[in-house]
Parts: sequence; C-alpha cells; structure tokens
Amino acid sequence: MPLYEGLGSGGEKTAVVIDLGEAFTKCGFAGETGPRCIIPSVIKRAGMPKPVRVVQYNINTEELYSYLKEFIHILYFRHLLVNPRDRRVVIIESVLCPSHFRETLTRVLFKYFEVPVFISNNRYRESGCIASKLETQLLEQCTVDTSAAKEQSSLCSIVINYDLKRGLKIQAAKFNIDGNNERPSPPPNVDYPLDGEKILHVLGSIRFSCGNSFEQDNEEKSVATLILDSLIQCPIDTRKQLAENLVVVGGTSMLPGFLHRLLAEIRYLVEKPKYKKVLGTKTFRIHTPPAKANCVAWLGGAIFGALQDILGSRSVSKEYYNQTGRIPDWCSLNNPPLEMMFDVGKTQPPLMKRAFSTEK
Amino acid sequence: MASLLQSDRVLYLVQGEKKVRAPLSQLYFCRYCSGLRSLECVSHEVDSHYCPSCLENMPSAEAKLKKNRCANCFDCPGCMHTLSTRATSISTQLPDDPAKTTMKKAYYLACGFCRWTSRDVGMADKSVASGGWQEPENPHTQQMNKLIEYYQQLAQKEKVERDRKKLARRRNYMPLAFSDKYGLGTRLQRPRAGASISTLAGLSLKEGEDQKEIKIEPAQAVDEVEPLPEDYYTRPVNLTEVTTLQQRLLQPDFQPVCASQLYPRHKHLLIKRSLRCRKCEHNLSKPEFNPTSIKFKIQLVAVDYIPEVRIMSIPNLRYMKESQVLLTLTNPVENLTHVTLLECEEGDPDDINSTAKVGVILEQIFEGREGAKPYRQLEKSIPNGQNSKCKGPEVGAFLPCLRNRKEARVATEG
Repeated sequence: MPLYEGLGSGGEKTAVVIDLGEAFTKCGFAGETGPRCIIPSVIKRAGMPKPVRVVQYNINTEELYSYLKEFIHILYFRHLLVNPRDRRVVIIESVLCPSHFRETLTRVLFKYFEVPVFISNNRYRESGCIASKLETQLLEQCTVDTSAAKEQSSLCSIVINYDLKRGLKIQAAKFNIDGNNERPSPPPNVDYPLDGEKILHVLGSIRFSCGNSFEQDNEEKSVATLILDSLIQCPIDTRKQLAENLVVVGGTSMLPGFLHRLLAEIRYLVEKPKYKKVLGTKTFRIHTPPAKANCVAWLGGAIFGALQDILGSRSVSKEYYNQTGRIPDWCSLNNPPLEMMFDVGKTQPPLMKRAFSTEK
Repeated sequence: MASLLQSDRVLYLVQGEKKVRAPLSQLYFCRYCSGLRSLECVSHEVDSHYCPSCLENMPSAEAKLKKNRCANCFDCPGCMHTLSTRATSISTQLPDDPAKTTMKKAYYLACGFCRWTSRDVGMADKSVASGGWQEPENPHTQQMNKLIEYYQQLAQKEKVERDRKKLARRRNYMPLAFSDKYGLGTRLQRPRAGASISTLAGLSLKEGEDQKEIKIEPAQAVDEVEPLPEDYYTRPVNLTEVTTLQQRLLQPDFQPVCASQLYPRHKHLLIKRSLRCRKCEHNLSKPEFNPTSIKFKIQLVAVDYIPEVRIMSIPNLRYMKESQVLLTLTNPVENLTHVTLLECEEGDPDDINSTAKVGVILEQIFEGREGAKPYRQLEKSIPNGQNSKCKGPEVGAFLPCLRNRKEARVATEG
C-alpha cells in the first residue's frame, strides 16, 4: 500500500467490495489481495431450525429485504467493522442476476444503511444449480451409523453438503479418452464423522458419481457444452481469442481435477460434428489467476474499487438514487444522463457531518 | 430470568417506516423527538474496536492498519479457540563455552480445546513470549500490487482525457489566464479537497512530459492443466489430514487443503456499537470506550421513560363468556403520567386476527396517575368506570375480556 494512506492524509476511504454468492459471500476492502472473510450466505433466526439462505431469487420483496438487511448488517458490524455510511460499495453480481434482487439490494444499501455510493461489477455465474444435485444423491444413498442403530440418512438434515464434498474428495471422474466404456473400479468408502456420535458411511460409488453430475445430463448439456455454445454465439473474429483465454471462477471449480476434466471434455466435444463445423478453433487455454478460484471475481471488484480516480464517475450516488428512485442496469450504464444529472466525478462522497475525528 | 419476566408477551408498537412490534426491553426512546425507536429505525455506528480475548482497546487507525486483527492473540486454525502461549525449557549450549549448557525458554502456541500446537505445522519455537509469531505472506501480493498500479495509471489517463474534453468544451468562456499555462486548468483543481497527492501531481504535469509508464505483461494462459494423480481413486482418504471447508475459508488467501498447512491467524476484533436516531441525529446509546466496562455514556433506553405494561393474571378464558384480565402499568419517571387505554385501531392486522376482544370503553377510562417516587408501595387496583387518581408508581386495571374464537392466542392492545 502506498505510504501516505497509512498516515491518513488525503482522506479517501477504501471502498467496500462485496460478492454475494448463492453459497458463500466474499467481502473485503478494495485494493487488498484477498477478501477479509468468506462466509456462508445464510442468516440464523431465532424461530427457524435451519439457517435461511439469503440469496434467493424466488421469494417476495419484503422477505428478501429483511434477509438482506440482516445479512449486510452482520457483514458490516461483525466482519468488516466499519461504518456503512462512510464508504463506497462495489457489488459484484452475475450478469444474469434478476433485477428484482438487484433493486432490493440497492434499496437496502441506500435506504437502510445509507451508503453514499454504489457500483456494481459483473461476473459470470457458474452453474451453481448442479451442486444441489449432489446433495440429493448423497442423501439418498448413504447410511448413517449411530451408536444405536443404522438410520436412513434422510434424518440427518444437518448434512452440510459442501463440507462433505471436501472430505470425500469427490473428484471429477477420470475420463476415458480411449473411448471404452468401462467404469473404473469405485474408490474406497469413507467414514465421515458427524457430530461425535454419528458416522456417515459414504459409499465409494457415490463419491465417484457425484463428480459426474457436472458432465452431460440427458439433454447432453454440461459445463463444457455451455462454454462451446457461448463461443458459437460470439462473433467469428473473436472466437479464437476467447477460446485461448478461458477463465474459470467459482468455488465449484476448485474440485480437484475439475479443470483437467473440463479441458478434456471440451477437446472431445470439439471433434463432434455439431461443433466441428461451426468452430474453427481447436486450441483452448485456461488462465491461472493470482488467487483462489472462489475469490477471483472478488479480486476483480477489489482492483476496480481501488481506482479512486474514476470510481466516482462510474457509480450511482445516493442523491441520484433519491432523485430517480432506480438504479441503471448493466446494459444502460453508458447513458449520458448519469453524468449530466449529477456531477459525481469531482467530489468524493461527503463524510458524515459528525464524523469522528478518530475515523480514518 | 428473562423467561420469568416473559418480556415478549407485551409488545410495543413502534411507528417507524415499518410498524415494528418489540418488547420494551429492546426499544429506545429518543428524548428529543419524543418517540419510541426500535433497532431497525436507528442507525448503527462503529464506536470502538477491541480484542475479545485480551480486552485491549484499539484505536480505529491502528485497527485499519492491522486489518482488524489483534497484535497479540491468535486463533487456533482448527477450532477457532484462542491460542495460549506455553513455555518449555530447553538446554542449549552457550556460544562461548561449548561444554556448558544453560536452560533457555522456548515458547510455542497451543490450543486448549483441540490440542493443536504450533509445532504441528512446523513453526519453530520462539524465544520471546509474544511478538515473535508471524503470519505467512500471500505469494501473489507483488503481482497484484503491480496490477493495481497499472490500472490506476489507466484510470488516471482516462480521467485526464475526460477532463480535457470538458475543458475543451468550456474553452470559450475561459479567460486567457487559465489556459495552457497552468496545465489543465485550475478549475479542475479547486474542489478537490480530499484528493490524493498523486492525482494532484499528475494534473500538474505538462502534457508533453512522460510519466513513468508501468508496463505489465498480459497473463499467460496455459494449455495443460495438471491431472489428478493416478492413485487418487484408490488411495484411502485420511480425514484427519484434510481441512474442513470452514477451516479453509477462514484463511481466504491460502485456503489450504492439508491440515499441515493450516497456520494460525491473529484474532479478529469486535466492536462496540453506538446508536443514533435517524430523524434528529442525536445519540441514543453510546457505550464507554473501555472494553472492560459495561456502562454507557449515553443510554436512552425505553425502559427508563415509557411505562411498562405487564399482564398480571389471565383467568380461564372460556368461549363467549366474559372474564377479567389484570394489567399493571409501572411509571419509571418522576413526573405525572397520564395513561389512556384505547381499543385497537381499525384495520389493525393484529386486531382482525385476534382471538379475544378486550372491552375498553373510552369514556370510562381516563386514568391519571401520580408517580411520585419510583419505589413506593403498590396500591390496590382501581375498579372499572372510575376516573381516578392514584398514588404510587404502579396502577392496575381489570379489563373485561371476551373470547370470540375457540382456539389460539390472545392479544390485546393499549
């Protein structure tokens, strides 16, 4: 960090960068090399037995508003430990995020927390829905061994899906490039301890097949076809460049062997007649970004948030939001009204009139 | 004790942006705008930082520098308990005289809960009790700093371009004195009260001069990714070696997969919060600076100002038969308090769904009450229909209650 920032001269505070994912939320400050915390996107309420997921797209606005409010409150006062009023916020969201969610989030931030300025950044959304398939598979087929008797694992609703994934080392299945259809012998079973008394026996074949759920389902759609289909949609001139610069982000891609399998699938699929005619290129390369795959999107937002100079002009200020009552969507961010209406480029957000002198 | 008081039986309505009902113990009273405030209609602010294990206050500048982590305390990477420093004596040879040995103390960190020690990850014992332990550095820091600098340069260029365009538009109105002589115009430098020093420096450079260009290499994409090792399938899993997801995510920079890579981190700080009324911007609650003190500098809680209503007794509520409910009201302040009991407002959702109606007839109830000092004796309860004054800070009222539904809870509103 530059020296003068520690001395507090200049006075511009670093922006807060929040990446609200469906499973985990990464939040931290701009200009840093990693998020301060990665926490599950859930809130715990007194009345409910299970924690409530915050990022849901199908619930009504009022409920979403209260969940988001509580969650962002926890983010600010337990993890970031700063005043929401003082700092700009960079939100990282998926391109496909529904407007309703986006608008509720904006309302929470501006109305309740009174953040001065809000910027949003876009990232791709990985196929997070596939992860839920894993959970159902596991629950059906594993048995739980308690000290008393064996029970069906449907009782253990406490099973934390993601935690199991890591322990079981569910890995992307080895791909038989030779083309023979034999299944390799399943990996050994694993006894996973839950809670002291109970032990979850996970069959080896489950470990093996969970990874497979990322591969082709009945409609022959998978992550690899997703990539190839989107390449086809792009203009011809750009396809080669794009194919040679793939970036895979997200926690799910941190499964051991995922990237290798993905590349192998893509190369296999490109040979098929469906893609061979349309795609001219055969080279596919993957980038290795300077952070773990689940923080890469956050990191992008952090670098952007560190650019104090232009941050003001590319953001929505509270005054603008109060005047218009809406936040422009990503497809209309270049419209001139944003700049003409309110001259945000010049001044930084006004500090609270009663800013404590010790706040830097 | 809280269950004995049953504080959630009597809820107070707060007319904020949303109607919130909460027990009196969770509400605040703004003396300046004379209104009840709930936690949702006040703004929360960070007051001070402190470490939960050594209870040391940390000024916010230092907290920011240390990334909100205590300098002395560590968290166990396995169970997140606080680590304690333990000492062992080891005999070492004196540097001057190899024959003699002395006992020196060596310190290591250990967790009292899960028995993790710093020796498990290979951290060498230190010779000083505190201050010797370092957190590992992120290997990508350098690269990222370069990236940030490069982008900042790009951003600066963009801003300069934009400002130049604006200046070009206004060139007609600008007097001669403000033209090229001062670079890009003093007008752009004026409102920049809080601008960083480097941007000012950038503006004052003449256009011909070359700033130090920061070049970065574009990232290289790789053709081949490492495949899984051959025995990945057949190797039995040793769960004690693998980190849990929670343990991994506590260290976002590294996220180690093996337990032997889990290094301890400094303990995260906690904050003390102060509350402020959104309408009049006065403080409602301001705690003391000292982390060990639980007192408040300003404490405008509702319990000190608003009369507390308690349900003293509920009789057997029988369907369509009238019975009497006893409510007591306690006056916490030293002044006279007039209390009026009214029926629920029209259209109040709680009223529509209620299972019993409490008969409160308007003209009969106008209780004036003297509350002289808060700790006098409790007087007898007043029968219905009297317009009376009562001595003492507490008063009780019998209210007729008619149960009009066969099932569910009773809610009354005053």
